Amino acid sequence: MKILNSIKAMAVAVAVAASSVVATTAPASADSVLEDILKRGKLRVGMSTFVPWAMRDNEGNLIGFEIDVATKLAEDMGVEVEFVPTAWSGIIPALIAKKFDVIVGGMSITPQRNLTVNFTIPYAHSGQTMAANTELAGDFKDLADYNDSAVTLACRRGATPCNLAEKMFPKASIRRFDDDAQAFQEVANGNAHATIASAPKPEFTVEANPDILFMANGGEALSSNDEAFGLRKGDPDALNFFSNWIRVNTTNGWLQETHDYWFKGQTAWKDMVAPDQ
Amino acid sequence: MDRNSPPPAPRRKRLTPVDIAIFAAVAALVVYTGYRVNAVLVYHWNWPRVLNFVLRYDPETGRYVANLLLYGLATTLRLALWGTVLATVIGIVMGYWRTVDNLTLRILSRSYVELIRNIPPLVFIFIFYFFISSQIFPALGLDDLDAEGPLVDNWLFAVLFGDPALLSNFLAGVLCLAMFEGAYVTEIVRAGIQAVGRGQWEAARAIGLSRTNVLRDVIMPQALRKILPPLAGQFITLIKDSSIVSLISIQELTFAATEVSSTTTKVFETWILVGAMYFVLCYSFALLFGWLERRAARSRR
Repeated sequence: MKILNSIKAMAVAVAVAASSVVATTAPASADSVLEDILKRGKLRVGMSTFVPWAMRDNEGNLIGFEIDVATKLAEDMGVEVEFVPTAWSGIIPALIAKKFDVIVGGMSITPQRNLTVNFTIPYAHSGQTMAANTELAGDFKDLADYNDSAVTLACRRGATPCNLAEKMFPKASIRRFDDDAQAFQEVANGNAHATIASAPKPEFTVEANPDILFMANGGEALSSNDEAFGLRKGDPDALNFFSNWIRVNTTNGWLQETHDYWFKGQTAWKDMVAPDQ
Repeated sequence: MDRNSPPPAPRRKRLTPVDIAIFAAVAALVVYTGYRVNAVLVYHWNWPRVLNFVLRYDPETGRYVANLLLYGLATTLRLALWGTVLATVIGIVMGYWRTVDNLTLRILSRSYVELIRNIPPLVFIFIFYFFISSQIFPALGLDDLDAEGPLVDNWLFAVLFGDPALLSNFLAGVLCLAMFEGAYVTEIVRAGIQAVGRGQWEAARAIGLSRTNVLRDVIMPQALRKILPPLAGQFITLIKDSSIVSLISIQELTFAATEVSSTTTKVFETWILVGAMYFVLCYSFALLFGWLERRAARSRR
């Protein structure tokens, strides 16, 4: 009898817990995040530092492509913008936990991610390129040479380049780092043959270290990606608004122009991030 | 030696040739490691670029002003101070509960301590942040705090809590740290209370003091004296542990450092510098607490 009772109590507890989980995960009401943004007068944007998407200038302020994009987006909505710098590995949980309204973080659309977040139409198209160590991989003829058990590749954990490396070079061993900089350093030190990252980061790094690094695959992208804003699920109004904002600014050329400014080379903005050079 | 002669004078402390040889060997090892690092590492050192993120020259005013890493350091200090205050409150309540006769209170406090002590801090903070603190702050309405309100828009608020826009973020960090460190403070408090002899309780009760009075006037003053030194050590641990809340994007020193290192790609300068900043901070507190302790010991005599 006693056991039965405790089982009953447990069942009740589980049911209560489950219903509270359902209550918290299901959208509280049909309200769109758009209304919250307008009411608050502030658009909260989740992002992560990632050259040249978002970075710190000499004064410690945020600059970069997605900073420009989110600033213009907020301007067009008639609200202020607030950036919430977030560790990349926690950016999707943070979005779901409502730490901010939207991810404008150069996030590539992947089916896996799309299962947990909604994506707008793409606002940028970038490729992934590979920077390799001249001493270790200088005599590799084509990409197939990297698919070898003796090859080590470095990449940023939780980002699309790691998935690409796994898929394209299944035989190579892969070292995952929390940060791009560590992955590139591993290649420069000769502990890894190459690293894959979103363009133009590998190009910029090779430019800075021409004697030790080179662009694998002749600088051609290994794959191309579509980057989009990430939104919480169950909000068609916001999705429609952001997608159409992107559509308008693609058609009028503003997105392309801004993209070119940040991605076509560092000359235009190099002074803002590097003193004494 | 007969028992009436004075004890022998303590031996003078001085370095013998053996000690000097040991020190020389350690120094040589350090230098060799440094040399090897430079030989193995393919790296262009560029200190000014990273130092610029501590202090930067402002051409407009012609003065040096604080930059990202110093702001991060200020947040770390704030986290440590508030974290300690809260952890002490939690620790005193829970630590007292650990010693009471009431079984429920003992089970509660024991579960709290064991739960936190046996989960890695990283895991605890991630779970706590996303499941608990993200429910509390929106409920309190902190997310919609009016940044221009008289309560918020003053220097005192800025000193105590930093940027109002990051308040709920900051509080989440404080709460995480306090919950985490509180478990260790609990054990310190429990040990302090239990270190006061049973006889003190009995004697105080025997002269007719109430339970509250015994605790307040007899036990706690004695326990406090035992608690303070380990509590000081815990405070320094908390400063160091505050670096893990960078995982949940609290804008403290370590988080600022990750941003600086990925912007500048100057990974080693950044982390060596940040390591040095933590060291200076923690060691100065260690010296301060050491000095306070010696003073307290002198005044007690």
